[in-house]
Amino acid sequence: MSDVAINFEGVTKAFGNVRAVDEVSFQLPRGALVTLLGPSGCGKTTTLRLVAGLELPTGGRIEIEGRDVTGLSAAERRIAMVFQSYALFPHMNVLENVSYGLLVNGARKPSAEAEANAMLKTLGLEGLGQRLPSELSGGQQQRVAVARALVLRPKVLLFDEPLSNLDARLRRRVREDIRDLQRKLGLSVVYVTHDQQEALAVSDLVCVMRAGKIAQMGTPVELYDDPADAFIADFMGEANVLQGEVLAPGRIALGGIPLDVTMRPHPSGPAQIAVRPESILPQPEGAPGLPGRIQRAAFLGQTREYEVETAAGMLFVVTPAASLAFAMGEAVSCRLDRVIPLRDVKG
Amino acid sequence: MGALTLARAALLCATLGLFLAPWHGLQDGISEVTAWPGGSAAPLVALLLDGSRWWLWPVALLLALAAPALLRGRAGAGLAWIGAGLVLAVFGAGYAIGLNGLQWGWLAPLLGAPPAQPSLGWGAFLVLAGGIGLFAAGQAARGRFGADAFVAFLVCSCGFLLLLFVFLPLVNMLSAALYEDGRLAPAAFGARLVAPEAWSLACLSTHAGCGVVWNTLLLATLTAVISTLLGLAFALLAVRGGARGKVSAGAFRAMTILPLITPPFVVSLALIVLFGRTGIVTGFMWDWFDIPRSRWIYGLPGVLLAQVLAQAPIAFLLLDGALRAISPSLEEAASTMGARRMRVFCSVTWPLLKPALAASFLLAFVESLADFGNPLVLGGDFDVLSTRIFFAIAGARHDPGRAAALALLLLAITFGAFALQALWLGKRRYTTVTGKGDSGIPAALPAGLKLTCAAVAWPWMIFTAAVYGIILVGGFVHDIGRGDLSFTWRHLGTGFEVGWFDGPAFIGSAWDSLFTTIQVAAISAPLTAGLGILLAWLIARQNFPGRRGLEFMTMLSFAIPGTVVGVSYIMAFNVPPVELTGTALILVICFVFRNLPVGVRGGIAALAQIDKSLDEASATMGGGAFQTLRRVVLPLLRPAIVTALAYSFVTAMTAVSAVIFLVSARHNLATVYIVGRVEAGEMALAIAYSTVLIVIMLVTVLGIEKLVGRARLGRASAAAPPIRAGA
Amino acid sequence: MPTPRRLLATGFAVTLTALLPAAASAQGNLTVYCSVQEEWCRPMMQAFERATGVRVAMTRKSSGETMTQIRAEAANPRGDVWWGGTGDPHMQAAEENLTVEYRSPRMSELHPWATRQAEQARFRTIGIYAGALGYSYNTTELTRRRIAAPTCWADLAKPEFRGEIQVADPNTSGTAYTMLATLLQVMGEEPAFDFLKAMHRNVNQYTRSGAAPARAAATGETLVGITFLHDAVTQKIAGAPVEIVAPCEGTGYEIGSMSIIRGARNMENAQRFYDWALSAEAQAIAGQANSFQLPSNRNAPIPPQAPRFENIRLIDYDFARWGSAAERTRVITRWEREVRAGAR
Repeated sequence: MSDVAINFEGVTKAFGNVRAVDEVSFQLPRGALVTLLGPSGCGKTTTLRLVAGLELPTGGRIEIEGRDVTGLSAAERRIAMVFQSYALFPHMNVLENVSYGLLVNGARKPSAEAEANAMLKTLGLEGLGQRLPSELSGGQQQRVAVARALVLRPKVLLFDEPLSNLDARLRRRVREDIRDLQRKLGLSVVYVTHDQQEALAVSDLVCVMRAGKIAQMGTPVELYDDPADAFIADFMGEANVLQGEVLAPGRIALGGIPLDVTMRPHPSGPAQIAVRPESILPQPEGAPGLPGRIQRAAFLGQTREYEVETAAGMLFVVTPAASLAFAMGEAVSCRLDRVIPLRDVKG
Repeated sequence: MGALTLARAALLCATLGLFLAPWHGLQDGISEVTAWPGGSAAPLVALLLDGSRWWLWPVALLLALAAPALLRGRAGAGLAWIGAGLVLAVFGAGYAIGLNGLQWGWLAPLLGAPPAQPSLGWGAFLVLAGGIGLFAAGQAARGRFGADAFVAFLVCSCGFLLLLFVFLPLVNMLSAALYEDGRLAPAAFGARLVAPEAWSLACLSTHAGCGVVWNTLLLATLTAVISTLLGLAFALLAVRGGARGKVSAGAFRAMTILPLITPPFVVSLALIVLFGRTGIVTGFMWDWFDIPRSRWIYGLPGVLLAQVLAQAPIAFLLLDGALRAISPSLEEAASTMGARRMRVFCSVTWPLLKPALAASFLLAFVESLADFGNPLVLGGDFDVLSTRIFFAIAGARHDPGRAAALALLLLAITFGAFALQALWLGKRRYTTVTGKGDSGIPAALPAGLKLTCAAVAWPWMIFTAAVYGIILVGGFVHDIGRGDLSFTWRHLGTGFEVGWFDGPAFIGSAWDSLFTTIQVAAISAPLTAGLGILLAWLIARQNFPGRRGLEFMTMLSFAIPGTVVGVSYIMAFNVPPVELTGTALILVICFVFRNLPVGVRGGIAALAQIDKSLDEASATMGGGAFQTLRRVVLPLLRPAIVTALAYSFVTAMTAVSAVIFLVSARHNLATVYIVGRVEAGEMALAIAYSTVLIVIMLVTVLGIEKLVGRARLGRASAAAPPIRAGA
Repeated sequence: MPTPRRLLATGFAVTLTALLPAAASAQGNLTVYCSVQEEWCRPMMQAFERATGVRVAMTRKSSGETMTQIRAEAANPRGDVWWGGTGDPHMQAAEENLTVEYRSPRMSELHPWATRQAEQARFRTIGIYAGALGYSYNTTELTRRRIAAPTCWADLAKPEFRGEIQVADPNTSGTAYTMLATLLQVMGEEPAFDFLKAMHRNVNQYTRSGAAPARAAATGETLVGITFLHDAVTQKIAGAPVEIVAPCEGTGYEIGSMSIIRGARNMENAQRFYDWALSAEAQAIAGQANSFQLPSNRNAPIPPQAPRFENIRLIDYDFARWGSAAERTRVITRWEREVRAGAR
């Protein structure tokens, strides 16, 4: 037994001619919360369903906690899953919903109900046991779904976009609850979302998928600061992707203007260069940096946003509200703190 | 359920079949069991050892081959081959060697001249079940059927049953179209398909009748159009007609149940009583308005009237539902854009109704194609395919080849109708009701349209009431056909007299058939509903190779006219290896597989309302397919199950065309008895018996409806699933 | 949930009991296919059960349907005796080797027309009753239309009967074929077809069932219905305003027959039934059951209402020729082409 919770080896899932998941290999460490992130249709949900056993792979091998589960059905995998729609059984009350998994796994009714009640209490749902799911609020339904999954003490817990049916305010609270719970219980969690902010907020590891393949996997900071290509740079928050040239370590040229910047090592030569909006600081005209002109300016309370026309192209810039303000049409010089030379020119 | 568990159970089952149960069917009933383990009740092992069935040794060998691995606890993919081998061995031997010894001449060098082999019995049944189980376990072990052995077993056994009881008889029967005088004759086949009796257009130019295909198409189209329009008129009044519309809706909804519970022929008889040349209405018209008595009711108009009487309420049900599903906000949106009422109706409401209109049209069209009773009684010289097929088989000129060719034509028309519907609707989806609440007030009907609807709907309602009034009265008066309306219990007495000789004695001539009918209907209804819902669940929820094929086969029996089914059954199941004619079992099987599509359709529709993630949630919590089915799916499908139950019970009581060939001396059915009464001209007894049937079915349906109503109550607020209009 | 489970168990038990064939009685069983009307079938079988103790299972179907069933079951027969129904299909079954030869000891008690038919069928079938062909007309409708009462076949071709005659379709009904064969024998082939063409204009409907025209005439749905006379008698006795006509040119008749099915499982009881059904007392049941054919046993009482053969000009019907499949096909095909296809 290793520290690997889930191991994918060259897993492929084809629906007809379409490869929803295409020879994907990865290892997810035990006790971590891993997010599968990507635009819709990228294969993240299929990957999750492959872990759950709701889809069986057309090729490759899947291990959970060192056990080969490739050909096992969902029922035999000892995982638990929280569904986007929560999938609470409408004909059972909350207590029946939560004790369901225990009962089908052979527990006796009194002990199953006792365990279920304990779990409801843990999640702050005591007293709701006799209610039907339809009589609960969205947040309560979500917690029942989590309780129903956790009561089985699964080795791996799967979440399929669990927050998408909640309003924005509730979303933040629930995702923190999930994170706390995962830490407290030391669960291995796989979490699917299309919301990069949500992914950055809750994850130990983020796995970005594109067209059935893994585009990049790493910690939230790695992905944000060090995206492999333009796709990830753009997907993980806003990024200005510019055509430029790496002149030497720490020196690049954008729009023909040489600039000194902080950057990871990159071979010299033409390259795509991504710049985060908050890494750009507009300064009054004449200061060292990339000269440009403010095309649009907006005040958002905590921040200011600008669009700056430069020789390298249009730049999207976000600055703290406290910083110097510029008006539309003003000429500025943009200081670039930190740039990301992109490896993959294709993106 | 794991593959190993299934494989072990299957092996046990097959072994029991091998060693214990009598291999062959018991011809003279259970009393033969006393001969066990020898004689006619011998199990296969005894027959193998005494050498009289040496060609079945492969069965024992295959079982021996499967045993070691299973006992050691390993279920491999190889089981699939063993299972398939078992089924093939049993059936192959059964077909190769029949009652008259060897049937397949080309096997003579191998088998020599074996003795006669009677039909398969319980032992063979157990071995077959075991073989299917092993096959399924092998497939599940290979990861097919979501690696769930329970699903694999269900699919394999359902597939086997459908092949045996839907596909095989049909192919058997239709292949008759290829033969003439026992020889293969493709030319005759071609000639039959294009025969002038089917395609002649003589009616356009001369007084002779047109081809039966044209007649059938004309009747079906007219029935479908008129029923749909009538249904639409009622639905518009009911949903958009304001306060008075509600009244008509209530009345018409009450009437929707009538066609379902009316035995065949009865509506036609009532029409004759009303509109025949000496009918009540005809006489009135003659006495008061000097409108000459005529025989217009016999032929297209009469059949059309009878079919519309049956189909219009069903069209109403469909359209009423669709009209309610149209979100008022769409119409409101159109109105806010300045459209007038009529314009809104034409540009918004009507297009949204299209799928439901198509569905209603198609249903009426197909029902008209399959209708047999009404054309038989009212057709006059107007022949349609269903009656022509019947008389090609049962008439004075017996010609199964011609019947088969006509049946092929009928099948082609039915499938053509389905294909057209699919083409017309395309892939468009009309979803107007989502889970979100929609608070709008339905637009009122344009005044002119409302008037038209009312002008059509009310007379039709009165007409329907009159027809059913005749049915109600007809059984209790001396002779309604000749206008002798004095009250009598005579007809009911003939059929249902009860005497007292050392206990109650059912003397009336109808008792036997009534008891058999109720028994057969009561047995087949739960089987139909159960199998239908299971199949629906498999088709809608499971992903497996051959799913489309399975779905097609379930729908196939809906498209085949009953007469064809009846004859194909008697041809396929009269001789070993599967010998069922003359038993009640064949009636049960016939009903189950004929009514299956309704259960399947209902199940699929109900499942579409239940989010698939519920099944998946159960699976991820460790619930196997069986647990999921039992604890999650079936409880949620309860209304659909009960509906399927009611429907199959009622259709089993009213079906006639399929079973007219299948009833036997011991097991006669009510409808066949009624047909006999009609044939003998005893309308009153036929009507009286029908009234009894109607009462029984009404009580059943209302009872069941009450049950469903209660079942729905507690769950009403449970899920707010999206409803797809026109799905 | 115990209830569904118990239900299921009960269902299974019921299924099992329903599907097991009933236990055999001491005297054995007999399966009879009955092709006369229910009222006659039932007392007949009950009487036989009382007389012998044999348990009878009986199905009533028209002779066409029964013929279909016997043909379909030929490889594995289910029935033992086919009792009743017009003679043609019985002859056909004999021709197709579906029935077996049996010479009853009661043969000597029968009318010669019955024994002659048996000889023609090589004793594979035997007459149990005979009924003459003819027509009935509705007296109310006749007086209303002020038409002279018809007495002959030829009257039916008169223009005043336009749209007033109903007769069965020979494609589906043995009765109608008997009429074709009768007319051909009475008039000769060509004049018969001329007559049929003329009458065709007067026919309002070719029904599928042979007895339907009698009923239609009784209710007034048609003025004249061509049927076997005993069917018309049944209507008259029920109070219908009909008059029965045995045509003046002479008419044919059917011989209701009985055959033992080849491969009968209860051969011994089948023969017992055969002998019993030919007896005078068994044939007396017909009259009590409102069936007014002539019994084939000379000693059987003739129902007083039955149309007596003495009062009818009966032709010498050649069952062998007109009952053969080839002749039948030829005549029906010609009728279809020359008569049915014509304008009305």
